Amino acid sequence: MLKIIKNTLISLSILAIAFGICLFIQNVFLTETLIPAVFVLAVFLIAFFTEGYIYGIISALFSVLIFNFAFSLPFFKFDFTIPENIISAVIMIIVTIITGALTTQIKRQEAIKAESEKERMRANLLRAVSHDLRTPLTTIYGASSTILDNFDIFSNEQKITLLKGIREDSQWLTRMVENLLSVTKLDGGKVKLLMNSVPLEELIDSVLRKFRKRYPEQEVIIDIPDEFISIPMDALLIEQVLVNILDNAVEHAEGMTELRLRVKVDEKRTTFEISDNGCGIDAERLKTIFTGCGGGTAPTDTKINSGIGLSVCATIIKAHGGEIFAESPKNGGAVFSFSLNNEENCDE
Amino acid sequence: MNNKYKILVVEDENNIRNIITALLEANGFQAITAESCAGGILMFNSHRPDLIILDLGLPDSDGIEFIREVRKESSFPIIVLSARSDEKDKVDALELGANDYVTKPFGSAELIARIRSALRNVRRIGNSLNPSEKFVLDRLTIDYDSRRVFLDNSEIKLTQTEYNIVALLSEHCGKVMTYSAIISAIWGYNDYGSKKKLQVNMANIRKKLGATPGNDCYIINELGVGYRMDTA
Repeated sequence: MLKIIKNTLISLSILAIAFGICLFIQNVFLTETLIPAVFVLAVFLIAFFTEGYIYGIISALFSVLIFNFAFSLPFFKFDFTIPENIISAVIMIIVTIITGALTTQIKRQEAIKAESEKERMRANLLRAVSHDLRTPLTTIYGASSTILDNFDIFSNEQKITLLKGIREDSQWLTRMVENLLSVTKLDGGKVKLLMNSVPLEELIDSVLRKFRKRYPEQEVIIDIPDEFISIPMDALLIEQVLVNILDNAVEHAEGMTELRLRVKVDEKRTTFEISDNGCGIDAERLKTIFTGCGGGTAPTDTKINSGIGLSVCATIIKAHGGEIFAESPKNGGAVFSFSLNNEENCDE
Repeated sequence: MNNKYKILVVEDENNIRNIITALLEANGFQAITAESCAGGILMFNSHRPDLIILDLGLPDSDGIEFIREVRKESSFPIIVLSARSDEKDKVDALELGANDYVTKPFGSAELIARIRSALRNVRRIGNSLNPSEKFVLDRLTIDYDSRRVFLDNSEIKLTQTEYNIVALLSEHCGKVMTYSAIISAIWGYNDYGSKKKLQVNMANIRKKLGATPGNDCYIINELGVGYRMDTA
């Protein structure tokens, strides 16, 4: 519906402008020879800017009528007996059809290009993921079969070390799978977010409990408003964003002694800010930090997968219509922040 | 000497079933197993377990069907195993009468803690048939007669609604109560603003009980699902 209105408006305004120009030409140059050319151009533009053939063809017929009516003798009267009018109508319709065909083709090619770009990104992500998955799987498979094969030879300590490796890497796999689930859920925007009004305090509570399970030693300083506020969001996904960013700080902010989560609420937006005083992020890395490719400099055999975790954050926030930023302030550390829209005042 | 708690594990995945069985036996429970919904119902009828651990994704029919079948005639605690993406299934299962859910993958400590808690709370509810009895959970005491709540012997001032919510959760201690279950029990109707009303009340209760984000005090917030009263 909206498309029809838009296309009709485009067609009408181009025709109106063409008509104006023709009136101008007629009055200034006192000639009609330029007028068909102007209308051909108008029809060409309409065919180019609207979707499908229909607007172009209608405009072409319309132009012929206008030309016939206003700009050819007898002025302001229809006369369908003049063969040149009919010929110009045929020409215009041919122009329209060819333009329509060409633009449709161009548009289709652009879509194919965008699709293949997306496909390429997906393939890259898949490749990165399969590589990242292989490392923990190697540990799990290797450690468990080593224990099974040498059960009586190993000391208890040796077994415990191997088993701890299995546990750690399977926890890592769990997080990876959760992130991938979210990405596939949101990819292409086919799945709607499960939007619910979530009290800020409950969200932060849940995030902290999850985070603490993983890193019991790491303290997080919380700074949130006292009053009750609830924000529309897909709770599980936003929880994942916060956990990912906090995780990222623990894994990558070397030398960090302070991890802080601050929430600020203004009239329209709620802004979440996670800051640490660790080693910071270098400028090159900052540019691509949310795109998942990590600048390509990361050694590929370590579990440097923050790329995926953070690109998942970006995808989730984007799906919420919010914005996410990463900064590395001059006085050190890193700051991640994102904002969500507040509830419109329509409750109760 | 068979006074161990009998726990029925309904899970089709061989490895997971083995892990749970080993875990249960190591912790002094007796485990019986089934691989399908139909098998589970058969085992349930012939063994009458004290608790059921149920995987929702079973080969023959949905675990939800199992809950429906079992809940017809008993109130044995059911702990549901679910994957993260089954948010709706989780709520459905709880609303049909499951007591708790554990998200896959789970740690052994977590599962055992949930089982212990569920069994403890069955005992508690079984013992408190006397209505004048007080509810005691660690430092929290609820006097149902005088409708008062105490934390370490000092009274927590709650409004009528707040008290009703706390009392409701305590009657189902250990069980996850979904938002809509609480709302219909407290207000009797469930409309657009009810959830917000519940959340505001809950924020106040949690504050009064001394909860800060990340540190629960007796009422545990299950994000997107509901609330549960338990020791943290």
